[in-house]
Amino acid sequence: MNTDWLAAAKARCASMQHNWDFATIIQNWPVLMVGLKGTVWIFLVTVVIGLSTGLIVGICRYAKNRWIRWPATALVEIFRNTPVLVQIIWFYYAFPILTGIDVNPFLAAVLGISLNTMAFSAEIYRAGIQSIEPGQWEAGKAIGMTYSQTMRRIILPVALRRILPALTNRGIEVFKMSTLASVVAYVETLSKAKLIADLNYNPIEAYTAVAILFFVVLYPIVQLTYVLERTLRKSDA
Amino acid sequence: MSACEQHRNIDMYEWDFIAVFSDIDLLALGLLNTLKVTSLALLFGIPLGLMLAVSRLSRFKPLSFSASFIIEFFRTTPPLVQLFWFFFALPILIDIRMTPLIASVLTFSIQSSAFFAEIFRGGIQSIDKGQWEGAKAIGMNYWQSMRRIILPQAVKRMIPAFMERSIELLKTTTLVSTVAYTDLMYQANDLAQKTFRPLEVYTVVAVMYFILIFVFSQVSLLIEHRLARSGESTVR
Repeated sequence: MNTDWLAAAKARCASMQHNWDFATIIQNWPVLMVGLKGTVWIFLVTVVIGLSTGLIVGICRYAKNRWIRWPATALVEIFRNTPVLVQIIWFYYAFPILTGIDVNPFLAAVLGISLNTMAFSAEIYRAGIQSIEPGQWEAGKAIGMTYSQTMRRIILPVALRRILPALTNRGIEVFKMSTLASVVAYVETLSKAKLIADLNYNPIEAYTAVAILFFVVLYPIVQLTYVLERTLRKSDA
Repeated sequence: MSACEQHRNIDMYEWDFIAVFSDIDLLALGLLNTLKVTSLALLFGIPLGLMLAVSRLSRFKPLSFSASFIIEFFRTTPPLVQLFWFFFALPILIDIRMTPLIASVLTFSIQSSAFFAEIFRGGIQSIDKGQWEGAKAIGMNYWQSMRRIILPQAVKRMIPAFMERSIELLKTTTLVSTVAYTDLMYQANDLAQKTFRPLEVYTVVAVMYFILIFVFSQVSLLIEHRLARSGESTVR
């Protein structure tokens, strides 16, 4: 009994002295970079689609006409209140049956992530627009501007400045979310790391490398949002 | 197949929910496991987050620096990468038998604690300095003032952000299906393969998630309005 415990402890100690094998990671660096290219590509596509459609939906949520407001609200609530992985998988396996459209991994991931981003950013835009004092609207009206002129020239420029940190944070979330595309076999950083780990039996190094890679890419951007928040708070005061 | 024919085929798709509902107990089990992972992650994540927040606010530089590093690292790396690391890499580094449940709870406790820490820190920092001074004046030490004066006030302000994060956590737990933990998502994949009815299965599961999360968000909205009415500012 006692020796059993000792043997286990010894084995544990032995395995703790793990032989780090970062050489294979460096050897496979080009493979990892192919993955990173996939990550950046899907990030760019989803962030552009998500943030631009989010603006439209966000403005629609603020509309006075309920036939515009209600569908926009439904869209936002549906995609905000379901997990993004469920959305990606639904678009990959269920959507083609419903519509007859061929969906490849890229399209499924883009649909899932960008609709999710659309819903979340719509709420950010709406909050930004609603944060503008009603006096601004009245001023726009007083000098003869229409609704869309006031929105475009007076409200949005101020609102966008205020919500810039929130939008940047959303962008960071989207970059992290792109790893979920690997679940439907889209080639990105994590799926390449898994490949390297499986071929070289070095999951520790492979997954550590990916974690560090994401940290190195995102950490400066996170710091940037802090600076952004501080400067905006100062200029607002 | 001509476009017209294809169109007719789509129209003829026969929804069949019977296959799904005859196995609804599988999905119910999955739902239970989803809630289990979420609550275990909350159970460990909240105290861990509080520890990280207090450490980050500490004047002792090495402590605050390492807490900041842990928080930033887990906030900027994707949860799926963290989960894979804990599931595939950690058992090699330290000799333990890793199960999907342990890996999931470990990942999401630490990941959510990093986010909770920032919410707690915001709440603690939002409390007026005079409160600390007042506590000191009547002879309380750091921990006494924190426990009796600061935290009770800060907690009220943290509630909305805290609940939003917990809902985020509930949504993120779907990732545990990728390491074969039998949560709702995993059961859905399983059932979709068994019944050849992915459209029905995934739609039902999406609706299940929607109801669950929607109810939680409405409750959190209600509490937020209550707090706003009681004149409590909220921390984001």
